[in-house]
Amino acid sequence: MTAAGPVIPNFGKASACITDNRAFCWGWVRAHWHDTLEPHLIQHVELTFVAVAIGFALAFVLALLSHRFRRLDQPVAIVAGLIYTIPSLAAFLVVLPIFGISYTTIEVPLTGYSLVLLYPNITAGLRAAPADVLEAAHGMGLTRIQTLWRVELPLAVPAIIGGLRIAAVSTVSIGTIAAIVGGKGLGEPIFIALGAPHPFRTEIYAAGGLVVVLALSLDLVLVVTRRMLVPWTRA
Amino acid sequence: MIFDAANTHAFLEAFRFIADNPGFLAHKALEQLELSGAALGIGAGVALPVGVVLGHFHRGSTLAIGASILGRALPIVVLIAFFLTVLGFGFVNNMCALAVLATGPILTNAYDGVDGVDRDVVEAARGMGMSRFQTLARVELPLAVPLLFTGIRIAAVTVVATAPVAAIAGGGGLGDVIVNQAGYELKGVLGASYCVMALSAGVWAALLALQKAMTPRALRSNRRPSGL
Amino acid sequence: MIRKHTRRAAKAAFAISFGVAIIIGVFAGAARSSPTAGPTIVIGTKNFGEEYILGALYQQALQAKGFHVVNKGDLGPTENIQTALTSGKINFYPEYTGVIVQDVFHKASSASSARATYNEAKKLERTKGYTLLAMTPFYDTDVIAVTNATAKKYGLKSISDLSKVGSYSFAGQPECKTRNTCLVGYEKQYGIGHPKFVAVGSVSAYTLLDQGKALAADVFSTDPPLGKNSKYTVLTDPKHVTGFQNVAPIVKASVASSAGSKFAATVNAVSAKLTIPAIVAMNKAFYVNQESAASIAKAFLKANGLL
Repeated sequence: MTAAGPVIPNFGKASACITDNRAFCWGWVRAHWHDTLEPHLIQHVELTFVAVAIGFALAFVLALLSHRFRRLDQPVAIVAGLIYTIPSLAAFLVVLPIFGISYTTIEVPLTGYSLVLLYPNITAGLRAAPADVLEAAHGMGLTRIQTLWRVELPLAVPAIIGGLRIAAVSTVSIGTIAAIVGGKGLGEPIFIALGAPHPFRTEIYAAGGLVVVLALSLDLVLVVTRRMLVPWTRA
Repeated sequence: MIFDAANTHAFLEAFRFIADNPGFLAHKALEQLELSGAALGIGAGVALPVGVVLGHFHRGSTLAIGASILGRALPIVVLIAFFLTVLGFGFVNNMCALAVLATGPILTNAYDGVDGVDRDVVEAARGMGMSRFQTLARVELPLAVPLLFTGIRIAAVTVVATAPVAAIAGGGGLGDVIVNQAGYELKGVLGASYCVMALSAGVWAALLALQKAMTPRALRSNRRPSGL
Repeated sequence: MIRKHTRRAAKAAFAISFGVAIIIGVFAGAARSSPTAGPTIVIGTKNFGEEYILGALYQQALQAKGFHVVNKGDLGPTENIQTALTSGKINFYPEYTGVIVQDVFHKASSASSARATYNEAKKLERTKGYTLLAMTPFYDTDVIAVTNATAKKYGLKSISDLSKVGSYSFAGQPECKTRNTCLVGYEKQYGIGHPKFVAVGSVSAYTLLDQGKALAADVFSTDPPLGKNSKYTVLTDPKHVTGFQNVAPIVKASVASSAGSKFAATVNAVSAKLTIPAIVAMNKAFYVNQESAASIAKAFLKANGLL
């Protein structure tokens, strides 16, 4: 070993709030917002957006196909239902050996769940057009595509947004488990805090609170979006 | 290199794992059902009365809808961590966390079910001289059974499928195998996952059968579109 | 009417193009271009504070000397991180010498000193194509801890005293159940009976000891709760069942040689400074003061002129 021992810096004395593990220490939150809470929050937002966007695109395509070819609906619905029963924990662990520690490992299951949550709502929405309205459109000489574009899709907006709300909130929620396979997202600070000799309450509540706020904010944004797109419908 | 031999093997070896450890897995599955059942019981015990009463008085729809949204917005990890700090490690904290998860669908559907009963029917009942309580018990509740049960069914499957996560905080069940890839290898994780899926499907089917049995005959031909 | 169609069209187009853009983005991000400065050191760590700190220490020290480093972070327990290493997902991680010999290569513990264990580990790793860099002065072995009250009640001083207790619960990480350096070794070498094993998962074993959910727990010798004025008693392990456990970074041999001698020198300079007091202080900052591993590493490296 080389000459002198190491210099051990004074890591400071933590506030009584932290060492006593009291319910909530704002000091810790302020001090660690930038190095712990903010980066993981941003990761969580990114993960959610990608999963919901891709899930939506895929679910939309599938829903259009089932709308056109009604016989597809039953099998797709059954497969979707099965996928939903896959325990999220297992889904991540199973994809891990295939893609390694990466965003892909997290996004594949999240997108899958998002897809299966959106599909029933989009299909239900597409069927929301009353029969007489469809007949009127047919009577007016609209083609199938025109009917879809001008009648069925606009009427599907409430259901689609309803599905987006469910998917967004669920994705934020399931995303917390993703930390087990790669330390991304707001689940990571929670797991680290849980693993301390005494589960560190402030970090758990802070990260947990952020997750809930994120989920509810996305829900609110979508509700407002629906009001703007279809102001005549109620809750 | 994406699907290398070892991984695809594990998907099949998982069945061998199940065949090799039937007693152990059954024991774990039972543990999970215990936890889920307790959680569901508490969740229903709270949410059913609240939802039914609110629906009867046609009040508090915001609460009913909000309960579902909040239920989805509260991740199980956060709930488990929270109850761990309050109640410690073991069965009770996980039961409470899962119970919170269960309340959302049950409350919303209970509310929707009772609230949505045809007002004319209710008026006719009152007109016949039934008290509020009798109307509720003899008219509204039976008519609400399909939605009530759907809510319970959704909550039950959600709880059973989410329970594996509780293994991170002493909840036991098949989750113990799923989080311990080091001890049971990927084939064990997959085997336990298949069991959870089968368990969820089984609970769904059992409750569906129960629902059919308890739906008043007059309503049975009604096919209501349900979300899942 | 036309406005509504435009809105719907815009919405659908936006969603789909957004999705496509995301897909492109994901793939582009995955295929990041590697820099010109030597091979990329891909670090991984195991799943507890001390390892996070070690990972951060080596990462920052190497980055300061111009190496390109990626820290994949927490990859789980030994079994999992070994898979990551052998499959090429990482090429560097700090491992404990005794764990290498007994848990990775499943050899019985025959070494009688830290140096002997290190040499044996180094030899074994070389057969698989991995280099072991210099070992740290500090060691961190598994130890069995009980609360002070429990120790007094049953008169527990050494691990073999556990045979005096009737049936009891033993808490540990899930992988402890099958390890020679853990439960299997304790049962075989000390005859501690067959306690009920409680896997701790994501929660610390100390929580279980505190709540009486376990009588004894497998914990680490450098844990902050075992420091001064501890509430816990550590049972002695005269047979060294848990082995000698200094830390030495495992590096893929080809990466180590292409990274050059400066690479090894940088890593070894950090390792040399990691004495037991140093690591205990850093663990305390992590677990008690709730500082982040990165900031702890930065402070330590700066104070020792390695940054």
